[in-house]
Amino acid sequence: MQSTGPARVAVLDRKSMHAYANPTRFLAIARPLTPWLTGLGLLLILIGCVAGLTMVPGDYKQGETARILYVHVPAAWLGMGGWTSLAIAGLVQLVWRHPLSGIAARAVAVPGMMFTALCLITGSIWGKPTWGTWWEWDGRMTSMLVLLFLYAGFIALTAGEDAQRGGGSLSRGAAIYAVVGAVNIPIINRSVVWWNSLHQGPSITLGGSSIDGALLWPLGLTLLGFSLLFGAIVLMRMRAIIAENRVAARMRRLADEEG
Amino acid sequence: MDGVITGSGQWSYVAAAYAMTALVSALVLWRSWRAMRTAEARSDALRKEQRGGRLVI
Repeated sequence: MQSTGPARVAVLDRKSMHAYANPTRFLAIARPLTPWLTGLGLLLILIGCVAGLTMVPGDYKQGETARILYVHVPAAWLGMGGWTSLAIAGLVQLVWRHPLSGIAARAVAVPGMMFTALCLITGSIWGKPTWGTWWEWDGRMTSMLVLLFLYAGFIALTAGEDAQRGGGSLSRGAAIYAVVGAVNIPIINRSVVWWNSLHQGPSITLGGSSIDGALLWPLGLTLLGFSLLFGAIVLMRMRAIIAENRVAARMRRLADEEG
Repeated sequence: MDGVITGSGQWSYVAAAYAMTALVSALVLWRSWRAMRTAEARSDALRKEQRGGRLVI
């Protein structure tokens, strides 16, 4: 009997999702996309940073240090966005066992951790001249530090699995870890509202921005530029994992033939 | 506030934040690119060797 209605839609969705499960099909898209994302990302970052350093005025309260915004905010956005995508990949792995989801999760982990570390470093550098301290154990900074440790834990967990059973799909434990770790993302987002903090409240919300338009536009460029660069780095790492898996598979096949 | 830095002294903090961002981003980009190139070159070489009927690792 032919499936109809919602069941048929679900089957079609699953089919279209699995159409890109084939690494060869994925690589046909990823190969031309990687240099474009890298080049465009670097260009936008360069324009945004030059504009942020030379073309916009200093903030009336914080002075020149407000220019750190143009690198700090993209780093925070990508640190949190990285774990969100890692959790989605973990969920897809758990529910549909999509072959590329585990590879995507592994590929996101290192750049996600790097941008989380950058967020903490640039935030600390911004904090010293503004608050008079490098670090404060408040809600925002502590929850961001927890995110850094979550990334480190995920990398250690998947590296251990790699050593045991080779790269590729994510284990059930690592996928659950990725999904459960996502609980920290809304905590980071709401931390400045829930707890007293040296960190300023939310400046950009769905309702608008408290940052003046004259200071805001370079942030759009650096946000987009760093996001494209992040995408390029993830694609590079996915391609590396796929290539390593292919080498391992060929070597196993060869060993079987000889044995 | 005690310890707050104003005026031209702020620029060194701005420069440090941008330098750290450039350094760490470039490092991760370079390492990812190199890992991709190395892995794909090895995979391609292995495939070609297998097609040619001989295998050199």
